[in-house]
Amino acid sequence: MQSRPAHSWRWLLANFLRREITSRYAGAAGGLAWALVHPLAQLAIFAAVFGFILRVPESALGGLRFAGFLAIALWPWFMFAEGLQRAVASIPGNASLIRKVAFPHELLILASVGASFAVHATGWVAVLVALALWGEPIRWTGLVLALPLLAAQFAFTVGIGAFLAAIHVVLRDVEQALGLVLMAIFYATPIVYPIGMVPEPYRGWLAMNPLAYVVARYRDVFVGGGWQAADLAVLAASLVVLVAGLWVFRRLSPYFEDLL
Amino acid sequence: MSDTLISLAGVGKDYPMVSTGAGRLRTLLSLVTGGGVVEHLCALDGVSLEVKRGESLGLVGENGAGKSTLLKVIAGVVRPTRGTATVNGRVGALLELGSGFHPDYTGRDNIALSAALAGLSRGEVESRIAGIIAFADIGAHIDQPVKHYSSGMVVRLGFAIATALEPDVLITDEVLAVGDESFQRKCIRWMEDYLADGGTLLLCSHGMYHVQTLCQKAAWLHQGRLRAYGDSFSVTQDYLAYHEEKRRTESPFGDRVAYAGDYFAVRSVSTHDDRGAPCAEFAMDEPLDVRIEIYSPDDRPPVALVGIVRADGTPVYGTHSDERGYAPRRIGPQRYAFGVRFPRCPLIPGKYVLRAHALDPEGLRLYDTVEAGFTVRGATRDYGLVRLEHAWHAPPD
Repeated sequence: MQSRPAHSWRWLLANFLRREITSRYAGAAGGLAWALVHPLAQLAIFAAVFGFILRVPESALGGLRFAGFLAIALWPWFMFAEGLQRAVASIPGNASLIRKVAFPHELLILASVGASFAVHATGWVAVLVALALWGEPIRWTGLVLALPLLAAQFAFTVGIGAFLAAIHVVLRDVEQALGLVLMAIFYATPIVYPIGMVPEPYRGWLAMNPLAYVVARYRDVFVGGGWQAADLAVLAASLVVLVAGLWVFRRLSPYFEDLL
Repeated sequence: MSDTLISLAGVGKDYPMVSTGAGRLRTLLSLVTGGGVVEHLCALDGVSLEVKRGESLGLVGENGAGKSTLLKVIAGVVRPTRGTATVNGRVGALLELGSGFHPDYTGRDNIALSAALAGLSRGEVESRIAGIIAFADIGAHIDQPVKHYSSGMVVRLGFAIATALEPDVLITDEVLAVGDESFQRKCIRWMEDYLADGGTLLLCSHGMYHVQTLCQKAAWLHQGRLRAYGDSFSVTQDYLAYHEEKRRTESPFGDRVAYAGDYFAVRSVSTHDDRGAPCAEFAMDEPLDVRIEIYSPDDRPPVALVGIVRADGTPVYGTHSDERGYAPRRIGPQRYAFGVRFPRCPLIPGKYVLRAHALDPEGLRLYDTVEAGFTVRGATRDYGLVRLEHAWHAPPD
């Protein structure tokens, strides 16, 4: 194996990132706009179903209207869910490259998750600004306070993504199961409903979902909440997930060529 | 920088057998726990060799002998299951040119991607991109997506990129010459310059001529193991001898099913040594005797044409029996035997094919062609097809 200093791969990572962001929308007349249209449409659907028909009570939304309440959580969910899906698909999707050229395969995971975060973070900020202009009590300081949470979520997503992507190379069942599991996690996370609506004995179980924590914290910091010591613990735990996921990935990545 | 570019010690590679779901699960478990591969196919075993700077290595062997796997180990794409592979320097692979291209990217973007894969920084790419585009010479297509390229254009761009990366070791298979005539000349010229400047080539080829002329050493892989390793002449000749042996046991040498019909047909062609015994291996400058039997439907004496081509198809020499005063021997009804003798066959060592053609008695129409291979042995370092009579001397004032 050729060994090369890690930083010399940054150009390749930049290239993969650019490719992940642009190639998904290449050939579409709407281009990158679809990256915003897709979550916006989902926002409209969920707002109609849960805010208008099922009528989630506004009193439980911490001073936000349902659209704002939903938007703060929905875009981070897309970062996570799409990041995982792209990460899992990235290894078979780049099989021809992996079979011919030696490079650190984790760059593909970083680029997949990174592209998903970059695209949806942009959409998130745009939607939050629009909501603030529309009169939602969203504070711009929330953007700064959300950064460590976003970093934790990124580390967590890369760790899980790397783990699943490595397993997926051997067991092609992962991609099949992932869609189902993600749908279950989506409804098990208080995104379309406030945690207060969950019956008491189950609330504790939901709180064990790490996404439930960051979603609640995003809502808090955007309406004026401050730092919390637990944020650091979550960041540390996410870094542990990142290291563990990459460990499994690196363990399996020399065999990708054999199994693809 | 070290003088040893590539060093393989006892390299072996097993491929897991993952045709069943259960096999995949077992493989996954054993890989995570570090137990190695359970059910496997052994693609390489116990390969040890060394390549020094400027000392090119030819890799020969039958299909499936493990050549590609070995190249992948050296390129760093495959991690060996056993043994160690050390590579000091930048490896450039000319295998399946353009395979790393992204179809939606333009040629220009793909240059940047390939360069990044090779570890070049953006600044280094900027300084080389003009040279790459000039070498590929595909005009305005460089700004079109690669998916709209012809296969020739993809290969041109791939080769142009590989040349610009200044590899310490260049891995290549049969792509020494790609693209059209003028681009082939450009490739060969570049390769000659690269070797003259001390570049190291790892050539995987079925063309023994290329291995002999471009490489000092050769390795013969047989069923994943190193069967011979050393001087490229002796290894390639052993390899060719092995093939001759295999051919002879599979079908009688130069024989053809008896043929009867309306055509002039070559029934047999064979090469013989000085004593008249059938022989497929000759030393350089040894006599070569060719015997041909042609079927003549109207029993008139036909015309025979004999040509010698190198194994890669390059014509060397041809002659026909329609010479004044020559008459073949009638050895039976409708059967004529021809003989042509080269008293001192000056072919450069390598593998050749003898082509015997059957023509009508007027020598106007060619009816049939039969080929027979033969090998010329010897340890000359002359280049080309035949040795011309020559003497080196110090010219007088």
